Amino acid sequence: MTLASPSLLVTGLRKQFVRPAVDGLDLSVARGELYALLGPNGAGKTTTLRMVAGLLAPDAGRIEVNGIDLARDPAGAKRSMAYLPDDPLLYGKLKPTEYLEFVAGLWGVDGATAEPRARHLLDWLDLTKHAHELTEGFSRGMKQKLALAGALIHEPQLLILDEPLTGLDAGASRQVKDLLLSHVAKGGTVILTTHILEVAERLAQRIGIIQHGRLIAQGTLDQLREETAAHTLEDMFLQLTGQA
Amino acid sequence: MRARPGSALWLLQHEVRLFWYTTLSSPSGKAPRGFHWKLVAAWLGLWALLHAGAWFVVGKLAGGNGDTPQQLVIAASVLLVASFLFMLSSALKSSVEVLFDRGDMDLLLSSPLPSRSIFAVRLTGVILGVASIYLLFLAPLAHVGVMQGHPRWMALYPVLLGMATIAAACAMLLTLALVRWLGARRTRVVAQVLGALAGALLFILSQLPNLAVQSGERGEGMLMRLAKSSAAIDAGSLVWLPGRALLGDPLAAAIVGVVALSAFVLTVMLTHRSFTRGLQLTAGVTGSHKRPAGALRFRFGSDLATSVIRKEWRLILRDPQLISQVLLQLLYLLPILFVVFRKDDGPSLAVGAGLTLLCGSLSTSLAWIVLLAEEAPDLLQSAPANARTIRRAKLAAAIGPVLALVCVPVLWLVWRAPLSGLLTAFTICGVTFGATLIVMWTGKPGERSALARRGQGNGTGILFEMSHLLGWGALAFLLPYAAGQAQPGIGTVAGVGAAGAVAFGVPVLAWIFRRRTH
Repeated sequence: MTLASPSLLVTGLRKQFVRPAVDGLDLSVARGELYALLGPNGAGKTTTLRMVAGLLAPDAGRIEVNGIDLARDPAGAKRSMAYLPDDPLLYGKLKPTEYLEFVAGLWGVDGATAEPRARHLLDWLDLTKHAHELTEGFSRGMKQKLALAGALIHEPQLLILDEPLTGLDAGASRQVKDLLLSHVAKGGTVILTTHILEVAERLAQRIGIIQHGRLIAQGTLDQLREETAAHTLEDMFLQLTGQA
Repeated sequence: MRARPGSALWLLQHEVRLFWYTTLSSPSGKAPRGFHWKLVAAWLGLWALLHAGAWFVVGKLAGGNGDTPQQLVIAASVLLVASFLFMLSSALKSSVEVLFDRGDMDLLLSSPLPSRSIFAVRLTGVILGVASIYLLFLAPLAHVGVMQGHPRWMALYPVLLGMATIAAACAMLLTLALVRWLGARRTRVVAQVLGALAGALLFILSQLPNLAVQSGERGEGMLMRLAKSSAAIDAGSLVWLPGRALLGDPLAAAIVGVVALSAFVLTVMLTHRSFTRGLQLTAGVTGSHKRPAGALRFRFGSDLATSVIRKEWRLILRDPQLISQVLLQLLYLLPILFVVFRKDDGPSLAVGAGLTLLCGSLSTSLAWIVLLAEEAPDLLQSAPANARTIRRAKLAAAIGPVLALVCVPVLWLVWRAPLSGLLTAFTICGVTFGATLIVMWTGKPGERSALARRGQGNGTGILFEMSHLLGWGALAFLLPYAAGQAQPGIGTVAGVGAAGAVAFGVPVLAWIFRRRTH
């Protein structure tokens, strides 16, 4: 891991299914940055994130995570990141404690490091009182919070989240947002996709807008405002994606 | 005929439509929901064949037009009691499905429909579902009976429906009682296991002679005594009432009908509120034992393989469907164990083959659950963990329980007859490893709940599994047989060769035809 390198560097990324899903995407996200990737349905957001997480092989292009080439050293690159899809990666018949044990085992985190983290995360996310229940009985919000705890158990530098706030109530949403901001404050990097533009507006330091697999605009909120002459992010988004 | 929307009849039509969509209209689940002529033609063809078979059977059984022979009454009674046990098993499974698995109960209960109507329709749905398969297979006997001069045999229809009603009412009441006593989550497990046990009870009863042999009595003697004492009971006795009802005795059929109707009405009248309460309980289920926050216990620090194995075993132990299937297979193991632990003579050749077949079947189920029904594949793939280590750990998680389960009887066999026991141990290891590899290479991934339907759309894989199982089963029978002979005959040697070729060759074929996504 090189400290000078960005947390995520994507160059010329391409992926085609029936039609091109990602079409020559270039993206750079610095360490300690919270980056929101926005786009209409089918724009290529999830495909991009799945390629970055190593779940989908790109047709072309290069992905570097903290200076490590994902294609050359996938295990090395994955070691410093965590991926959270919109449908939480949980096992219904495991309890939260057992789930965290398993995820820690996957990332090779030793017990002395993992246990205090697990206690802290369960406590912070208000899951300790549910720690001995099977996750199959959890609400959507509880599942999402537990999956987030699993993603953070190995303290990844780069956290990739696909629609992390969909279906959460106000309380759970606030807890997740606080956790993401805390991760960034400690030098971590967060890349998230969301359809809730207000979340991007309030949390993200930079926003990227993707359409037809290409990044059509990128920058801070002020930069995007200048570029489009629109006032709200919603207006900017609709204008840039031609839906206004 | 179109029923008034919101009426019980209208809801019943909805149930029937759902039954059609989910079971009859689309065998693959992908085809449109229309009328599938091929499927209907296949069922009709099967039904015609059953009628042909029934013609032959009825001609031999019923004899002339006079009084019904007592043996026929006894046979009909046994048939009906056996069917009832299986009906109870199916009804328990259906009750659990209706109560726990169907996603439409919230919608129904939030509608202005009276809960009594909802419950009556759901119970009727369970009854029709349970009775349909027995009507399909047994109705040809009644039809042929009518053609051969026994019009009363048409009583089979109401009697089977009556028995299905009694079974469904018992199952529903039991499920609701379990929800009250044990809570919703445990009920799901217990009801599924009870369903499996009810189905297996008949098999256990059929193995009573083996138990008798174990206790020193001759099995044949016991059977003979049972048959004689059965014949000694008068045909008019209450014991044979089910058989008489099935064969059209008006009084007996009326008794069954009245009992069934009463069971239905009482169940609907008395329990529709419990039913709603039961559903509310299931909706709120999040686990029954809440420990205080300070009691957090972790077992961190395990290596990758241990973490994976521990996770898989936890999931297996908490999977009611899988556990009931394993318990069922263990029940079928019991008669083999009676033979294994018998004291009078050496273990029979069939024991090794039986244990081998059992291990092959069990490891196939476990391997599919562990390897191909992974709930969070993206989690494993996004981790920096070695994929090969994960795969090996999963293989160990699938194989370990099977070998642990049979190690005691196998060690007993080795102690009593070393060569035969060692050969059995060899075939058990071979079938377990081979079956697991075949599933890994040719199995079709799916959700855990689809275990019973895992063969759909994967005919080649199932063919490999079955032929491999039979190959090892034959080898387990023939190897100790050949080893026990001073000079095995050419037929025996050829048999061993053929079985060995299948047992070892099929995994190679499975590897050649493996799914490239693995």
